[in-house]
Amino acid sequence: MSVLTLAALAALLAFGVSASVGAGDAREALRVIGRDAGPQAVATADLYFTLGDMDAQVANVLLIGGEEGLSREREAALRTYERRRDAASAALLQAADLTGDDPAEQRTVRDVLSGLSRYERLAAEALVLDRRSGHRAGPPPAEVTELYRRATDLMRLELLPKAYNLTLESGALVRRTYEDRRRDVLVARAVSLVAGLLLAGALVALQVYLAARFRRLLNPALALALAGAAVLTAAASGLLGGQAEQLRRARDEGFDHVLALSRARAKGIGVQADQSRFLLDPARRDTYEQAYLDQSQSIVYVPADSLGDYHRAVAGADGSRLLGLVGERVRGRTGEPAVRDVLTGFQGFQRRDRELRHLVRSGRTREAVALRLGASGRAFDRYDGALVSLVTAHRNAFEGAVRTGEARMGPWPYALPVGAVLIGLLVLAGVRPRLAEYR
Amino acid sequence: MRRVLIVPPPAAALAVLAALALLAGCGGDRESAAGRDTLVIGVNADGPGLGLRTGNRFEGFDVDVAREIARRLGARDVRFRALRSADREKFLERGTVDLVVATYSITAERKTRVTFAGPYYVAHQDTLVRRGEGRIRDVRDLAGRRLCRVDGSNSWRRVIQQRGVPAEPVPAGNYAECVRMLKAGLVDAVSTDDLILAGLVRGDSSARVVNAPFSDERYGVGLRKGDVAGCEAVNKAITGMYQDGTAAGLLRRWFGPSGLRLTTTVPEFEGCD
Repeated sequence: MSVLTLAALAALLAFGVSASVGAGDAREALRVIGRDAGPQAVATADLYFTLGDMDAQVANVLLIGGEEGLSREREAALRTYERRRDAASAALLQAADLTGDDPAEQRTVRDVLSGLSRYERLAAEALVLDRRSGHRAGPPPAEVTELYRRATDLMRLELLPKAYNLTLESGALVRRTYEDRRRDVLVARAVSLVAGLLLAGALVALQVYLAARFRRLLNPALALALAGAAVLTAAASGLLGGQAEQLRRARDEGFDHVLALSRARAKGIGVQADQSRFLLDPARRDTYEQAYLDQSQSIVYVPADSLGDYHRAVAGADGSRLLGLVGERVRGRTGEPAVRDVLTGFQGFQRRDRELRHLVRSGRTREAVALRLGASGRAFDRYDGALVSLVTAHRNAFEGAVRTGEARMGPWPYALPVGAVLIGLLVLAGVRPRLAEYR
Repeated sequence: MRRVLIVPPPAAALAVLAALALLAGCGGDRESAAGRDTLVIGVNADGPGLGLRTGNRFEGFDVDVAREIARRLGARDVRFRALRSADREKFLERGTVDLVVATYSITAERKTRVTFAGPYYVAHQDTLVRRGEGRIRDVRDLAGRRLCRVDGSNSWRRVIQQRGVPAEPVPAGNYAECVRMLKAGLVDAVSTDDLILAGLVRGDSSARVVNAPFSDERYGVGLRKGDVAGCEAVNKAITGMYQDGTAAGLLRRWFGPSGLRLTTTVPEFEGCD
């Protein structure tokens, strides 16, 4: 009898420990993904967007110059620049808070902060010089262009890559946490299930043994312990299985999409900025046109050798064979209106770009500038708006899954060990009088 | 919180066994490149300044980058293996090599077969001219000039077909031959990745890169498709190399003398997914 009792208690211990550890893993995973690295990844993607838009707005202001018909657009671009600048500083401070104790990431955040103040100085100089020159819409005087080149090179070659890598690093932390913890949760579930069954088996055996040995029909304490063990095992298995599923949903249906689409959105701002730079700096036209093509390809990839090819291929794309950050997310999903809007929005923007390049090639630069700030800008806003809606839908799915997981956690992290202790006491209460009869 | 499973025999032992059996079903993947003792790295054998084999020693920027990455991944033993461009995907898929560091540009099509860490450098197509050449300042100035054309390379096509610059192509077998032809006055310009050009004229003052880049070539580190953990570890290593100045030192060592404008801050990574 004491062997059976010991076996039951050992199984109970294994059950209690594995179920509690599993519940702790699930809670920790929800915290990191839902409250820590997950939101940080999204916040740094927004930082990239903000920085990219700062540089785009500076290019727009310089492009407009003193052109009277576009003074409203100039004011709007300046206001957006200032708003983005403030948002970037705030986002960086937040990122500094969230990087935790990884020295490489902290160093990256510091580098971006100090680079940003250098950028602001260069941009401010360029803006002042440009204001004085009062040129018509189109390329500004050479000394303004020279200052802007230094600013944009700093932004594109140093600051944006670092901001982007911060996003990737947070995304990597989410992936590692997800994979490790979800596996741990599933292992804990399997272990607790087996331990629970062994416990139940031992309790039944004890019951049978006692009935035969002491001619009692039922030991009430042991019967209660058996019922408790059954309930607790089912509860633990359901809880851990459910949490593993919530984690999967949070990641596969939410976070992965949010991160990829936020990165796409950030790159989109760079694409639009490359239009402005293309108009602003004729000597670097080839560079900026190539950058436009490369960045567009990273968003929606279709095979193309030149920008002309790309315009044609994107116009004809039906969403079935696309690659790239947006391409892979919309592939095969164009039946969903929110997804289709993103693709048609992108196509509309690329159509305007084709017109814009055509105007420049035929020497109508001022019209091209007006197009960039008018119809082309609106086409971009439609695309960007559709992308934001899609991101929001996935963000809701993500936050919903995290909240559901947290709510289902309820009192279980405490209830499981307490329940196990109670069952242990019941087992001891059930066998103790019988043990006493031995003496 | 680190969890310690207290293992009371025999129930827990049985339970653990059962759990392991469950897990065995999802652990079938091959090992990640991160955390291996020995790493086999594929590099070029015929690219001066990037990956060049002399005897059985490899040297160049790619080779040094590969060695640094391996060290930072914790590998104790590194072996280099020469590969041709056409072999890169095949060698990774078969496990012949663990990593490829060989002027391997990241493209959307290649990403369907390979996971890319990095880029560790973003090279640009640029133009090499004779030292005394004053009229070629960017790719547009190649109109009507003799441009070296290497068969099997896309670089000349980018100039003549994509940019529509009417240069006169002159065929050659490879870029080393192009450089010889440039010096002999048989062509006026050679156009391809700036690091390749800089590597070819290292320590040679008769030619220079014009510093008018017009494309981005994102040199990535190729890993077996799906090795996300390895990819993230390589990215960490590359970040570290830029933060502690190792990358800047290597760039200057291999390409500094060519007069090429080098970027010494960390590139924007591709992302491991």
